[in-house]
Amino acid sequence: MLLAQVLLNGVLLGALYGLMALGMALVWGVLNIVNLAHGALIMLGGYVVYYCYTLLGIDPLLALPVAMASMFATGYLLQRFLLNLIVRGALLNTLLITFGLDVVITYLGQVVFTADFRTINPSYSGANFMLLGLTVPVLRLIAFGIALLLSSALWFLLNKSGLGRAIRATAQNLVAARLYGVDPRQVYAVTFGIGAALAGAAGGLYGMISHLTPYIGSSLTAKSFVIAILGGLANPFKVILGGIVVGVAESLAALYIGPTYTDVVSFLLLVVILVVRPAHALRAA
Amino acid sequence: MQRSVLVLVIMSVIMLAFLPWIASDVMLQFAINTLLLATLAQSWNILGGFAGYVSFGNSVFYGLGTYGTAIAMAQFGLPFWVGLMLGALLAVICALIVGLPILRLRGPYFAIATLGLSGVMGAIVSNMDIAGANIGLILPLTRADPMFYELSLGLLVVTTVCVAWLSMSRFGMALIAIREDEDAAGTMGVNTTRYKVAALVLASLFTSIAGGIHAYWITFVDPASAFDPTLNVRMVIMAVFGGSGTVFGPVIGSFLLSTIYELLAFWISTAAALLFGVVIVLAVLFMPKGIADLALAKEPGWRYFLRNVREHRL
Repeated sequence: MLLAQVLLNGVLLGALYGLMALGMALVWGVLNIVNLAHGALIMLGGYVVYYCYTLLGIDPLLALPVAMASMFATGYLLQRFLLNLIVRGALLNTLLITFGLDVVITYLGQVVFTADFRTINPSYSGANFMLLGLTVPVLRLIAFGIALLLSSALWFLLNKSGLGRAIRATAQNLVAARLYGVDPRQVYAVTFGIGAALAGAAGGLYGMISHLTPYIGSSLTAKSFVIAILGGLANPFKVILGGIVVGVAESLAALYIGPTYTDVVSFLLLVVILVVRPAHALRAA
Repeated sequence: MQRSVLVLVIMSVIMLAFLPWIASDVMLQFAINTLLLATLAQSWNILGGFAGYVSFGNSVFYGLGTYGTAIAMAQFGLPFWVGLMLGALLAVICALIVGLPILRLRGPYFAIATLGLSGVMGAIVSNMDIAGANIGLILPLTRADPMFYELSLGLLVVTTVCVAWLSMSRFGMALIAIREDEDAAGTMGVNTTRYKVAALVLASLFTSIAGGIHAYWITFVDPASAFDPTLNVRMVIMAVFGGSGTVFGPVIGSFLLSTIYELLAFWISTAAALLFGVVIVLAVLFMPKGIADLALAKEPGWRYFLRNVREHRL
């Protein structure tokens, strides 16, 4: 029974991990930018929801669209006016510039939000119900549902809409897409904006389930990284699945080996996957 | 290398060697830190700059160096140099074990695989009683900053001489060939895996000795600071800021960035981290090939910066 409960927790939490990684995988697959500031964007989204709830009294779940919209704007502007200037450079340079952004955003977060621990605590935050003898925490279930919802939305956007076709075309062949009338500057900015919006939603949910500080970014970036590699960059559902694999592996490791080893487990998982099946990863959308 | 450059470098090293007699205590501590960071950036340069394999795992060798020294001195009462050797041995063994599977991966895969390395080793060390677990180890106290300064300077000189030799040797040519086109290098008969592993081992050696010197100087080690992943990011930034794949770029980059950071922290202590981030963003934007390339540019000034932006923008 304990095992089943741990597995359930792992699956529910893992879907949220997957949602965190979704934006990173999208940006990486389409723009070939490994965004080290992704965790910082998640952090920003979390604080948007936090302030909507505490200052304006908006229910956190209803504040998620607000976080997504404001993060979309942030991401769009960042890509349009900064990252587009460097996007054709070497991978190392985009890594460094996004690391610099991470430092800047984290610092600004520390000034504006202060370093205090914050938790988004709506009235239903502790609620749970019993199902087949297992305790199901309501918030985590909601997070799971939202992760599935948003990954489906992303799938439809990429595969069934004109914008999605433009994004996929740009990812496959920049020059050819340009010849067919796609403006890559616009497409890149919109794609990065979508990635940031997904990060914003993930941040809001993370703030409800865990806690927020300006410094959570770098560890969330690392986790998103592992999941993006596990799930590949092409299919949103596989990214969520990758998140679930990591969530379950971490929960099992915490149960059987000890909580200090959770990071070791997800890292070993990553290395094994990379060495055994390297061709699996890094396929653009 | 031109003779004038060589003379200039030797002169500056001799002048730097006299620093402990004129500098204040605070200045000397800053200098030791800077020299050790420069050594780390220069070691990173061996694999990252010459072979183009961006490693985010070099801080693991630094951590092993600090822990090798700390365990030898604090737990077994062995002398400092034995500790340094133990740390170096641990780091080299780790480089071999980790390098052989991971260096088969190319480009971004390699960078990512190394990313979690220091976190993993930190978790392992914080569960080992001989390494003081989570609490850390206290080394015998020594107050001899001039000695640590000369040691750090000596290590940086040895590392830089090694890189200078590398840049002219067959070994270095092989690494550059791997960077430019690994498949072509393999076709031309370069045993790429062997050269990459050798470069990683060489980097691990210098990195771990720098860690050992730092451990004995600070007289305290704990898992969080020994396996700090941001240390590795700092190595990369300093090397790239100065110019990766060049002999003096990483050294100049570390000297400049350390100084900039220290001055910012002195003037506007609260905003130093922010401005440091801004410096990184601007540097990548306007001079992605580093100071070394800027110094050799035919048309310095704003034309150079604009050309860089024009080359890489969408």
